[in-house]
Amino acid sequence: MTALLVKELECGYGSHIVIKGLNFEVNLGEVVGVVGPNGSGKTTLLRAISGLLPIKHGEVKILSHEISKLTRRELAQKVAFVPQLMEPVAGFTVFEMVLLGRTPHLTRFEFASEEDFQVTNWAIEELKVEDIRDQQVAELSGGEFQRVAIARALAQDPKLLLLDEPISHLDIRYQIKIMKLITKLKKQRTIIATFHDLNIASRFCHRLMLLKKGEIIAFGRPDEVLTPGNIWKAYNIKAQVRENPRSRHARVVWLP
Amino acid sequence: MRKKNLLIILFLILILLGVAALFLGSVWVPPQEFLSSPIITQIRLPRIFGAVLVGTLLATAGVILQGVLRNPLADPYILGVSSGAGVGAALALGLKITPSIFGISAIPLSAFVFALVAVFTVYNLARVGGRTSPETLILAGVAVSAFAAAILSLIIILTGQLQSIYFWLLGGLSSITWLEVFNLVPYTVIGLLIAYFYSKELNALLFGEEMAMSMGVEVERVRQVLILAAALMTAAAVSVSGLIGFVGLIIPHFVRLILGSNHRLLVPFSALGGALLVLGADIISRTALSPQEIPIGIVMSLLGAPFFLYLLRRRRSGEK
Repeated sequence: MTALLVKELECGYGSHIVIKGLNFEVNLGEVVGVVGPNGSGKTTLLRAISGLLPIKHGEVKILSHEISKLTRRELAQKVAFVPQLMEPVAGFTVFEMVLLGRTPHLTRFEFASEEDFQVTNWAIEELKVEDIRDQQVAELSGGEFQRVAIARALAQDPKLLLLDEPISHLDIRYQIKIMKLITKLKKQRTIIATFHDLNIASRFCHRLMLLKKGEIIAFGRPDEVLTPGNIWKAYNIKAQVRENPRSRHARVVWLP
Repeated sequence: MRKKNLLIILFLILILLGVAALFLGSVWVPPQEFLSSPIITQIRLPRIFGAVLVGTLLATAGVILQGVLRNPLADPYILGVSSGAGVGAALALGLKITPSIFGISAIPLSAFVFALVAVFTVYNLARVGGRTSPETLILAGVAVSAFAAAILSLIIILTGQLQSIYFWLLGGLSSITWLEVFNLVPYTVIGLLIAYFYSKELNALLFGEEMAMSMGVEVERVRQVLILAAALMTAAAVSVSGLIGFVGLIIPHFVRLILGSNHRLLVPFSALGGALLVLGADIISRTALSPQEIPIGIVMSLLGAPFFLYLLRRRRSGEK
């Protein structure tokens, strides 16, 4: 089943067009990694799908709902977004911050109910942050805070979870931990995340989308996308692609 | 819930303080004469209610604006309410305009109207292409305030009414009437309800405009509603009490230091905290050097600022 349909999408900032006529589909339950050099439009694409950036041309459909026809609240019930650099806010506990994710499910005069607390606790457990649930978010380490940020998005109970560079500033232990946690949630949930580390993306994503200057160079299974030719086209870097002997995933090795 | 009990306890303290305030003053009135004495019914009682309402209004407006503008230095006056009200009051005082409309005298009316004019000017100046940003709002507020301050000085010089205008600007509740108290009630009730029912949005906004949007908050519309509410609340308070500083800036921070940043708690506790502080400060202002009155703003800053700094230091050293 198609979770996300993007047709002739064009968007950018002011007169500067970043995304130029993208077409693709993502299925329900899929984990898609968006890769490409800086400035290729990865973040812009996620922001357009999450409704943070106006769409200049084309359409974005989530579960066959055209996003420009949804109210912000309706959209937030379907799509959640974790930005690249989210700043912790002083004076919030982990629980309070994750509970914020329930905002789109509450009407004007409603406050969080027992059900919202349950969803919040579930999101906290999914991201394994139970131990720190009463700590102040401003006091967490980078890896802990990133998991809390994702738990907050998960508490929105979205069909589509968009993560902008969820692991870029974390050490390798947290990178793997977070990737394992989010790929385990995939049941009935679609995840689109941007990455700089091609090998991590290859290891954990069902499909990769390679972008350059707002256009798709390749979209498919990691071993189809990560070829020396594509990598040269996107990054102007010579690389060899081998198979990881244990996980059998495509592994990129840079050549001197 | 423990925090609910704390709120009830604070409310009881407020009532006790209010009752105590009836007994305190330069003239001793025995309790059996309370109902017949105009000192109680026409002076102390409206003043007590006025202090409670003004404190609630200013502290709540402070919470709202600190949240909407995501700026810890925001206070109820940041968007030009104070300077606008100053010009309005100065005009009425300086030109000795005395007639009243529906029993409301010209000074608070003029202060109220000019306060709102200033905020609307700031809001519209900061609005570019249907959007406002906190930074432009604050800068527009600074600019309009500077302009209004210049006009205020001009009025003082041209009319020679330095003393009366200066005393109005210092703020105080000594001349508050029952009618003015009643007029504050709708602003307080509606303003508090808006702040409380928008606490979700205020929380979301703390994480940034985009995060709030991605959580379903219609940022621009919410900002409009909240700024309007804060402006009306502040203008209403200022029009009857002059420029009482400190409470709207400090009380939200004070509550935040103790209970955290969640607006669900911040709004009611700040409202109550503001009421307690202004009532307490007003009692001190009319009893400490009785029969001489110390302007309430002076009392609050003189006693409140060191206490707040002490709390801030203790918290900060506790974090390390």
